[in-house]
Amino acid sequence: MSLVTFVQLIIQGLNMGLIYALAALGISLIWNATSLFNFSQGDLLTIGGYVMLTAFSYLALPYPVAFLITVVVMGVAGYMLSKGYFYPMFKQNFNPQIILIGTVALSIFVRNGILLTWGPDAQTYANPFGSKAVEILGVNIMPHYIWNVVIVAVLVVALQMFLRGTVIGIAMRAVAQKPVAASLMGVKVEQMVSMTFLLSTGLAAISGLLVAPIIPLIPEMGGLLAIKAFAAVLIGGLGSFAGALVGGVIIGIAEVLFATLVVSTYKDVFIFAVLILFLLIRPGGIFKADISEKV
Amino acid sequence: MGKAFGFFKKNILLIIVLLLALVPVAGVPSYQFYIIERGLQNAIIVLSLVILLGYTGLLSLGHAGLLAVGAYTFGILTVTYGINPWIALMVAPVVAAALGALLGIPSFKLSGPFLVVTTIAFGEIVRILILNWEKLTGGPYGLGGIKSVIPSAKGMYYFLLVLVFLVSVATMRLSKSRIGLAFKAIKEDEVAAEVMGVNVRRYKLLAFTISSFMAGLSGALFACLTNYLNPDSFTFAESATYLLMVVLGGMANVVGAVASALGVTALPEVLRFMVRSRMVVYSLVLLLVIRYSKSLNMKTLRKVLGKPEGSTLGGGE
Repeated sequence: MSLVTFVQLIIQGLNMGLIYALAALGISLIWNATSLFNFSQGDLLTIGGYVMLTAFSYLALPYPVAFLITVVVMGVAGYMLSKGYFYPMFKQNFNPQIILIGTVALSIFVRNGILLTWGPDAQTYANPFGSKAVEILGVNIMPHYIWNVVIVAVLVVALQMFLRGTVIGIAMRAVAQKPVAASLMGVKVEQMVSMTFLLSTGLAAISGLLVAPIIPLIPEMGGLLAIKAFAAVLIGGLGSFAGALVGGVIIGIAEVLFATLVVSTYKDVFIFAVLILFLLIRPGGIFKADISEKV
Repeated sequence: MGKAFGFFKKNILLIIVLLLALVPVAGVPSYQFYIIERGLQNAIIVLSLVILLGYTGLLSLGHAGLLAVGAYTFGILTVTYGINPWIALMVAPVVAAALGALLGIPSFKLSGPFLVVTTIAFGEIVRILILNWEKLTGGPYGLGGIKSVIPSAKGMYYFLLVLVFLVSVATMRLSKSRIGLAFKAIKEDEVAAEVMGVNVRRYKLLAFTISSFMAGLSGALFACLTNYLNPDSFTFAESATYLLMVVLGGMANVVGAVASALGVTALPEVLRFMVRSRMVVYSLVLLLVIRYSKSLNMKTLRKVLGKPEGSTLGGGE
């Protein structure tokens, strides 16, 4: 394999990896704030793609407007989900396993809701960034690869600035580190947990709207994407900001390389096997999140 | 008092079984009959989760994979190799148990979401292998022409009913046995269990093995009922449905598990008049049951069904 092909594969993998990373980041955020592992993240991602489909394709809104609407709609949905469903369960001291199962039930609900609203057929929308590859140093790069990297980079920087530089962000991190102490300091824990859900669902929605032009939307797509995001977050280190990003990129690149170099039908098996091995050998992931690093 | 409770509980199970025994006599239409059969078959895999989740506190979202192992082992042995279905019915659960024991090894180190993700990955690996190992499994085209252990529909129904009854009684008895107590000790507090002399690893492995054996048995019966296997029947969504059946049944409640397996299997059919929205309604009901599980706390249900086997549904920290 030539170097050019190799670089091309890496870029392609990086692109998918960043999409996994965004979803993974959402899982990490919620994990830190509530010790809940959100198994419905993949389906929230999918519904984000569908909302985008409606706004961008059906309503023919300009891309940036549709983008914003999707993120806001999904963010608010996440906020309501926390206020109306998950937070009351935390407050009533539910068995964590039951709440975990609640996210599984939510996943089934969202999947069937999508099926009912948008139908079972695969749908997609035109790639807003065009589909004409740009040649840079002999490497063909699709324009959305570049855009995805830019969008994710901007998001990550903005998120870091929000979490470290604003009062709400700092309050959210306080809740993630010591909820009781935070509430004694006057931080509204419920509000912050719900804000975390808002951020997490917003991130899922963005990865959904970025993935839709690459992989056509089907109601069940969340399942497989979710496991990739789970793999990303666990390999990277659950609860770690950098871990989610690095984990996502590792998964994305490993998947593309395995599919091309070995056999494409078993690429998911490979990823899952790596995940299980990783969990057995280093359960904390690459970046074991310590308190100070918690997002 | 305890004796009265026990008597009542046994009675409830017997009453359900006796009522179900009347179904073939009542002349139920064949499709509805098939749904009840499927409900009984599901009851066995749900009971397998009662042991794993309800007794031992280990959450698995990969049981559809174990079901698939049982079903395909049965299918391949009888169709491809022409082995006697009764022998295949005995081999299939053993194969599933062996693989399930393997799945139990990660549980030594992992807990909570880490273990759950491992089981999901296991389930997906099984499904993808089935999908791509066309020579052996028929891949996406499926595996057809599977013969049941008992050709007559009525005979098969009674066989299922007896099996469900036996497995239920066994699961109940397990709860009070030394092994069951060890399982519950692990669920309540692993460290304390270890200190009290429970070999945590051994019992976790045992829980996974017993549970997988039952899942495999359910899978073989599934193959008998459908006569055709396809990887689509063994997705994550199926694993999730079994899990939700256990929750609905009260986690550690055997009678509840059987009732919920029968009820949830029938629910999409009962809601059939809603055609397209029935799955949404069904999952919404599950969401609400989980949300209010603590306030319901199965108090009313418990009075009807008898004392549960383990701690309360929403209990614990």
